[in-house]
Amino acid sequence: MSTLHVICHSPFGDNRLSSCLRLLGSADGLLLCGDAVYALQPGSEPLRTLQASQLDGRLFALDEDLQARAITISDLGKAIDYPAFVELSLHYDKVNSWL
Amino acid sequence: MSTLTVGERSIALDKDGYLVELGDWSEEVASALAAHEDLELTAEHWEVLTLLRDFYQEFELSPATRPLIKYTALKLGAEKGNSLHLNRLFKGTPAKLAAKLAGLPKPTNCI
Amino acid sequence: MAKSLLIISRQAPWAGPSAREALDIALAGGAFDLPLGMLFLDDGVFQLAPGQQPAQLQQKNLAANLQALPMFGIEELFAAGSSLQERGLAADTLSLPVQVLDDAALAALIDRFDQVVTL
Repeated sequence: MSTLHVICHSPFGDNRLSSCLRLLGSADGLLLCGDAVYALQPGSEPLRTLQASQLDGRLFALDEDLQARAITISDLGKAIDYPAFVELSLHYDKVNSWL
Repeated sequence: MSTLTVGERSIALDKDGYLVELGDWSEEVASALAAHEDLELTAEHWEVLTLLRDFYQEFELSPATRPLIKYTALKLGAEKGNSLHLNRLFKGTPAKLAAKLAGLPKPTNCI
Repeated sequence: MAKSLLIISRQAPWAGPSAREALDIALAGGAFDLPLGMLFLDDGVFQLAPGQQPAQLQQKNLAANLQALPMFGIEELFAAGSSLQERGLAADTLSLPVQVLDDAALAALIDRFDQVVTL
């Protein structure tokens, strides 16, 4: 069973992202939305952690949240819109929201 | 809100008839609450009420039906820790009614 | 067959509503006989610290309420070993009988449940 983990909190001053990466299964996906997209900030520690996490094809970020914050996802992952988010949640067996 | 008169004392009840102050409870209060429900307390009732007060002492919450049954089975044996026995004693709603008579808050998570 | 739910509780007990909310979901689900598991992760493991005395906080006693989980039929209780270690909590002093899991086992645990929510 695969899980899509959804995180919406900034990785700075919060450990949701690091905890999530610690328990992420090899078939699991990670979607960043809201302030969580700051994890993709160039030159930052969270970005280095994401780059080292071997998330090929399993890392996603909500496009509108990226654009609003002037962040890009590069080739590390995929920017998606809400319809794609819905499709993505159907693709995985379950969704784990990190509230 | 209403009040229950027991001897000289006037005791505050919430809108569902549960004690507002858990410290107001006494055996006389329990009997008076039971009378309100047209119930006469027997030794079998008392042992469940005592048990419920122990439960609250330990966990600081009122049990829903399932944990009440489980706890009763644990403390008094399976013969008493079953829904048939408890339903018979407390008119089909043991978690709610027994908590009321034991002076506990109304159980949440209860239909 | 009801779907199984894993509740991941990862906030400390007294400052915010999350730990209480996670427990309320567990107790409500347990009262309805749902197959539930609960995992204490990150600061959530502080909920299991021994000897907590919150009487002066004017809150419901979460530490005491947690003890009722097995009575509500929730016996699948887990704690993240790395979270315990980081916080200097010894597994054998915890207030609940939890199974301590390493990081690899956490992924397998989440995998095993039909649904999961993290508070």
